[in-house]
Amino acid sequence: MTFELFNRTFFIATDVLLAYIALIGTGLGVLYLVNRANKWSVIKDYVTTTHHRKIGVLYLLSATLFFLRAGIEALIIRTQLAVPENDFWVFQGDKFNEAFTTHGTIMIFFVAMPLLIGLMNVAVPLQIGAQDMAFPYMNALSFWLFLAGAILVNMSFFMTASPNAGWTAYAPLSTAEFTPEAGNDYYIFGLQVSGVGTILAAINMIVTIVRHRAPGMKMTRMPLFAWSTLVTAFLILIAFPVLTIALYILMFDRLFGTSFFSGEAGSPIYWQHLFWIFGHPEVYIIVIPAFGIFSDVISTFSKKRVFGYTSMVVAIVIIGLLGFMVWVHHMFTVGLGPVVNTVFAITTMLIAVPTGIKIFNWLFTMRKGVIHLGTPMLFAAGFIPTFVIGGVTGVMLAVAAADFQFHDTYFVVAHFHYTMVGGTVLGAFAGIYYWFPKMFGFKLKDGLGKAHFWLFLIGFHITFFPQHFAGLNGMPRRVYTYTAEDNIFIFNFISTIGAFMMGIGTLFFVWNIYKSFKNPDRCGNDPWNGRTLEWSVPSPAPEHPFDPMPQVTTIDPLWEAKRNRGGKLPVANTSRSAPIDVTSWQPVGFSGLIMLFSLSFIYHVTWLQIVLGIMVLAFFALRTLTDEHTKMAREGEDHDNI
Amino acid sequence: MKKIKWLVASLFIFLTGCNLRVLDPKSETARDQSFLIQFSFALMMIVFAIVIILFVWFLSKYRENDQNKDYIPADEKGSPWLEITWTVIPFILLAILAVPTVSITFEQSAQVESTPANAVQIEVTGQQFSWTFSYQNGVETVNNLRLPVDRPVEFTLRSEDIIHSFWIPKLGGKKDLIPGKTRRMIVTPEETGTYQGKCAEFCGREHTKMRFTTTVMEESEYEQWLQEMKEKIE
Amino acid sequence: MTTYKSDRFGDKQLGFALYLIGELIMFATLFATYFLFTPSAINPTPSETFELRTVVITSICLLSSSATIHYAEKAFEKGKEKGVWIGLISTLILATAFMGFEIHEFYKYASEGYTLTENLFLSSFYILVGLHAAHVLFGIGWMALLCYHYPRIPNAIYGQKQKIFTYYWHFVDVIWVFIITFVYGPYLF
Repeated sequence: MTFELFNRTFFIATDVLLAYIALIGTGLGVLYLVNRANKWSVIKDYVTTTHHRKIGVLYLLSATLFFLRAGIEALIIRTQLAVPENDFWVFQGDKFNEAFTTHGTIMIFFVAMPLLIGLMNVAVPLQIGAQDMAFPYMNALSFWLFLAGAILVNMSFFMTASPNAGWTAYAPLSTAEFTPEAGNDYYIFGLQVSGVGTILAAINMIVTIVRHRAPGMKMTRMPLFAWSTLVTAFLILIAFPVLTIALYILMFDRLFGTSFFSGEAGSPIYWQHLFWIFGHPEVYIIVIPAFGIFSDVISTFSKKRVFGYTSMVVAIVIIGLLGFMVWVHHMFTVGLGPVVNTVFAITTMLIAVPTGIKIFNWLFTMRKGVIHLGTPMLFAAGFIPTFVIGGVTGVMLAVAAADFQFHDTYFVVAHFHYTMVGGTVLGAFAGIYYWFPKMFGFKLKDGLGKAHFWLFLIGFHITFFPQHFAGLNGMPRRVYTYTAEDNIFIFNFISTIGAFMMGIGTLFFVWNIYKSFKNPDRCGNDPWNGRTLEWSVPSPAPEHPFDPMPQVTTIDPLWEAKRNRGGKLPVANTSRSAPIDVTSWQPVGFSGLIMLFSLSFIYHVTWLQIVLGIMVLAFFALRTLTDEHTKMAREGEDHDNI
Repeated sequence: MKKIKWLVASLFIFLTGCNLRVLDPKSETARDQSFLIQFSFALMMIVFAIVIILFVWFLSKYRENDQNKDYIPADEKGSPWLEITWTVIPFILLAILAVPTVSITFEQSAQVESTPANAVQIEVTGQQFSWTFSYQNGVETVNNLRLPVDRPVEFTLRSEDIIHSFWIPKLGGKKDLIPGKTRRMIVTPEETGTYQGKCAEFCGREHTKMRFTTTVMEESEYEQWLQEMKEKIE
Repeated sequence: MTTYKSDRFGDKQLGFALYLIGELIMFATLFATYFLFTPSAINPTPSETFELRTVVITSICLLSSSATIHYAEKAFEKGKEKGVWIGLISTLILATAFMGFEIHEFYKYASEGYTLTENLFLSSFYILVGLHAAHVLFGIGWMALLCYHYPRIPNAIYGQKQKIFTYYWHFVDVIWVFIITFVYGPYLF
């Protein structure tokens, strides 16, 4: 739409205009409510905190907001595709491409990742008997860097420059020659900044798990969520640096005139290799933690220890290792030759074996148990058949010659939604319902939770099951319309109905959170008859929760204590020094600075790049000069515990 | 009214399945691929069925009720035999699947090197957002491909700008067009008819519209058409 | 109580080691990029571009700085304040000299027309060696801060900070060894 102002004509797309109105409207509404309830101190508390539970809540809160945004994009995509040759609003051509690009990018990097990292933050330290994450300050920094990156990608839409080369940003389409707008620069810097935050979070997780376990909590006694977190953290540590460099090189191509991925000497396929060497481990990064959540939930709600603990751990480790050896299955149609293709086809099939082991171990955990179908368990139960469908289509896709047909069709779209929604999103919901009491001291409502579950799960299958057929009938992915002769109308139409059902299910989730806060049912420390250490500490988890420090003698220590010791955990004689919690504005300040620094590159403002670059470096000096360890040593407190 | 017609037509496809383009092959290449899809699907259905049966069985039998709700299940660590079973059986199933996978993948890639003597040569060039087909006698068409039936066709695939992917679902799987590189693909259409062709790799604004029609015709008609087209240029 | 004393420092050591693993993977990816694009490059080829003299001088500066920082480390353990200063300042000087020669090298190449965008060999050379140079530059700032800290903060804390820096500096040196071996080596020796 165009309008006149100061004798000049301005153009603004109506979708962007509406989004501005909605954003400013809700923003002002939230400010008003915060002010009326006088909750500024709570906000300040969360912004400056370094406590793992609060940071976990921040991750989950921002992930939920981004889930709503990328979910709206999904509904827009589905509406445009509901009927053949549709002209919904502005979403054809570039606008549609932008919508699916940001939908994918946000769902993977700013929804799936923070949902799981948030749950790790909340639960893992408590599960292993740690007082906090190993580096509380760095933990806050990780979150704020993630958020800075997420805001960069999200704001691109408001600057009418959304990334538009797909979440995979295949070169040469993603190079400046073909997409000169700022959109893909937002993509590069957004992912780069949040990626650094993610790498730091992974380091923090590994150190916490390796060095902060309670006395007697051997690695072989750790809950499976902690195990999956450890494996995931290693995958992040190895895979994300490859993305960092891929983006670094792409940045040179886009901003500084090199031509690694395009032109006569450049290699577009090299981008695909780099991207998928990162990208395939990435899909395990976001599904392995969900496996961990399901293991804990299924075991708790069946009142039985997890079946085949050792093989469960070995299976996660093998999945993690194989995850690095399968990336070419995203590139079967590139033409790398039959030897490469078949080798990668077979490694890909092999992943089905450890995954199968896990599925059967979950089933046999339920066998001979007493299965209580609380909301978290419903999500876990819904996961098993859903994920198995995603798994078997995964094996079908691994068949290289068959993949020549499947590749880049809606069959693939259906497959990865079955694994990512069926695995990651259901896992994250199970985890949120399960650990919500540990975050806030009360449960989410069970009735609304069930409504959420059924609408979401049934809606999910209605959305994605028909897409297999659309793909087999020749519908490529990333198209904004199709013709009546394509004979895929009915699949798409059903799919659209399902998508709206999922949307309504998600609204039930949001409504549930609101109702539960409005009218909380306090539920004590152990609402699920838990088995692991996190249920032995108060809800919400306080700072320094383990006082006295328990001595762990077995797997599922709390369950053992309930059976044999009247619910009292044995107390350890010694314990290691706790991490130092601080409150600081520095992490949020630094991330804001990094965001501005990125913007100065996106919009090529050289003087600002220099000024902000110096400020970023100066921040490191500020950090070392205000270091809490130095302060503590200086004050002479706790002198032995430096 | 028109919409209802689609609905009925599509519902029919939904029920029969066999009309889906990928599963309705018109060349040996596509038939092999369709076989692999159905074969892997059948194998995977065994796994899926077992999981679903166990899932429903355990969930219904061990669900909490008034009798068992205070019961504490016996502690059970695992069972090496069971665990070995569900490690070994998937291996066997995958080995069964791997054999045709490897052989067909090699076969479909190997034919590219050994071009049949009587093959029709067609150069395919992809560009944002259309297809150009050049025939041996210099004729060029845009978004409109014509092939003779029962004769091998060798496509030489090139891209003018960015990556595209050449795909005629009924004649065979896709192959990417990489700028600066040449790719080859050989198929032998076995039935006359008109088939859809598409770009399967996202290539920018009008990727959706980057489609072409493939008409497979009797060889004599094909030669005649080529001749007519050539005369038109001259 | 002796085991507790190093609890938090042990966290930092492990955390920093993990960070360096991440960095190592980043550099490995850049080396791979260099190997991929360099052999086929013409106008200029690496042999036409590289110049032995500056490579030798920069290498002497950087490699000997690993010895001087090690000297500072040993001096700190023995409690010799003067030794720490000598080690630290000489490392700082050597690093600054390295940066000077590196900038000179880049400047010289650029003035010969061998710029970032000339061909993919030069592009991958600059983004790899340039990233390494950025690490050296960051290390110089870090050392300056250590010099500021040394007389001002408790000795035990300073020791930890210096030790972490030592890891960093040795890492930067190891990367340089790889750069000499794989980036310059095949075309100079």
